[in-house]
Amino acid sequence: MVETGIPKLDDYLYGGVPIGKTLVYYTYPGVEGVVFGMQSLCHAMSNGTSGVYVASSTEPHRIREQFSEFGWDADEYGDRFTIIDVFSGLIGADSHERYVVADPEDVRSLTQCIKNAMEDLREPGVIVFESLSTIMDLCGESETLDAIEEWNQYAMLYDHAMVYNFTAWPYSDDTLLSIKEDIFDSTISVGGITGNVIFGQYFGVLKANWTDAVRKYILFKILKPGGVRAYIPKILVTGPFDAGKSTFVHALSNRAVSVDRLGTTIALDHGHVDYKGFAADIFGTPGQERFDPIIKLLGGEAMGVFLVLDSTRAEDFARGKQMLEITRSFGLPVVIVANKQDCDGALTPENIRDKLDMPETVLVMPAVAATGKGVFEAFETLIDMVMEVG
Amino acid sequence: MKLSFIGLSRSEVGGFGTTAYTDVFLYLNIQGIEQDKNWVQFNMTYKLGISRLDELIGDIKNGTNIMMIGPPISGKDDIANVIVCQGLLDANAAVIVSTREPGDNVLEWFEHYDPDIPMDRIGIVDCVTRTLGFGAHDTDNIKMASSPVDLTGIGVKISQFLEHFWMEMQLRETRLCINSLSTILMYSNLQTVFRFLHVFTGRMKAANALGIYVIEEGMHDEKTIVTLKQLFDGMIEIREGEEGYQIRAVGFTPKPTPWFDYEIDGANIVLQG
Repeated sequence: MVETGIPKLDDYLYGGVPIGKTLVYYTYPGVEGVVFGMQSLCHAMSNGTSGVYVASSTEPHRIREQFSEFGWDADEYGDRFTIIDVFSGLIGADSHERYVVADPEDVRSLTQCIKNAMEDLREPGVIVFESLSTIMDLCGESETLDAIEEWNQYAMLYDHAMVYNFTAWPYSDDTLLSIKEDIFDSTISVGGITGNVIFGQYFGVLKANWTDAVRKYILFKILKPGGVRAYIPKILVTGPFDAGKSTFVHALSNRAVSVDRLGTTIALDHGHVDYKGFAADIFGTPGQERFDPIIKLLGGEAMGVFLVLDSTRAEDFARGKQMLEITRSFGLPVVIVANKQDCDGALTPENIRDKLDMPETVLVMPAVAATGKGVFEAFETLIDMVMEVG
Repeated sequence: MKLSFIGLSRSEVGGFGTTAYTDVFLYLNIQGIEQDKNWVQFNMTYKLGISRLDELIGDIKNGTNIMMIGPPISGKDDIANVIVCQGLLDANAAVIVSTREPGDNVLEWFEHYDPDIPMDRIGIVDCVTRTLGFGAHDTDNIKMASSPVDLTGIGVKISQFLEHFWMEMQLRETRLCINSLSTILMYSNLQTVFRFLHVFTGRMKAANALGIYVIEEGMHDEKTIVTLKQLFDGMIEIREGEEGYQIRAVGFTPKPTPWFDYEIDGANIVLQG
């Protein structure tokens, strides 16, 4: 099995792409799909797998630069990384790659190169196509479709996994249908949410013939460095006054700002988290009752909630529960953060759950936001819950 | 609000699931889109910034795509820049796909001719610098495409600028200028370029934007020009006259405008006659 390295996608594919199988990232024009293939390749190579990149739109040295921009060091992969250069011939540039297709419009030359590269791989590897659509533009639709079947059969013979980036320009309906539904073992839709412009991007599994694919769609962002990140647009952090919400937001975030007066949040905290393949925007509420109208406003549209409690102040727990009501958080994934666990008199998470009269299904996690202890464990837990619901 | 998921058929959107569907709307809510009262402005119009032509053709409605065609060295680059410049002065945003000049040079043109132009409203997709072997990185104003062949990459970068101007800068009027299609046609076949333009002329309509697409006369056969013409709503034509070059607009009024001799004076196009 070759992992794709795309957050959540390997879970949805039950581990990744089996050797000998094929996957296509079916991307809509204007959406950043090419990074998916790059990330899958680099993830596989960083796990020790050999990889081949079929470069059809970009010069090889530039591809290495692109990898570097995303934080993937091509040099690290050594001779496990090979490029088939299908681009330099197009612009009449010299190429120093081992495999070069002199005439990129000749699909037979390309096929021969791909076969050679597959045979030369010493062990099962992954072959990633930078842009199948560019090859199709150069070689023709039906010729390319025929060639894909040949490449895929060869990959099966040599136990390689094949990953294709394809941009769904308005080709013939038959071609698009064939790519989307027929000739690949799995299809990952990489699309955009559009109104007047593309506002957001998502991916999801349309098909995977080795498993019952999980039909879920994930919003994503592309970060440099970082690559594809599953994106959660809003996570709320609420809780009583002085429970440590702002400290929690800052401890969790790569960057954060607070609107406060003398250290007390009077409007909101906002932070952005980039952690283990997930990106999220975190919004912290004030805690004082006089700010309840703001708290109500901030609570809208959250996809998950942290309720931060001071573990030493049981008298504030009722207020914490009330804040879940104000923010209309019931029904959303909630993690209760039992903060200030390092302080004298701190109640245990179990004690806190009992005092809140919450069922055992509600997770109460220990943390010391001031030192960062426990905050990322709480984040991972909440993200898992959000993704399960999504 | 009219919203769609490109990439999913109706049945697939059904498979999206209520929760995920809601997530997307939540996302838009969070971004402040639904609250935006200027979500759609039906009365948005554009002017070229070439006074006599503007008087004759009137306002250009939003979503219009214009082909500009003329012989080499007739000043098409300057004319395209003037049209973009007019937009910037009208508080529009501008996205320029440059296939012949490095992005820095394009920015310099605007800085040189009008220092008051708000540079943060210009986005350039630079298809040149990297083909010259320079390892330049993206800046706020310039995003680097690998080459004119990389239509997928060019499309992504156009979309990123459109999103940036719409979402982050709240600009609702944008001009896209592709200068030039002829370079793109040197690297990709007509069918490929047609598919690219088919998508992006549609996106310009959806974004209520104005699209200007420059093409060199004499570089392409008649079939290419006729094929591409189908995608555009109007044309700015340039030809060689007896005493210089002439310009006219076609497709905006029942009859083409008359031909005008013109002179380029910095960021002004002066029509004569």
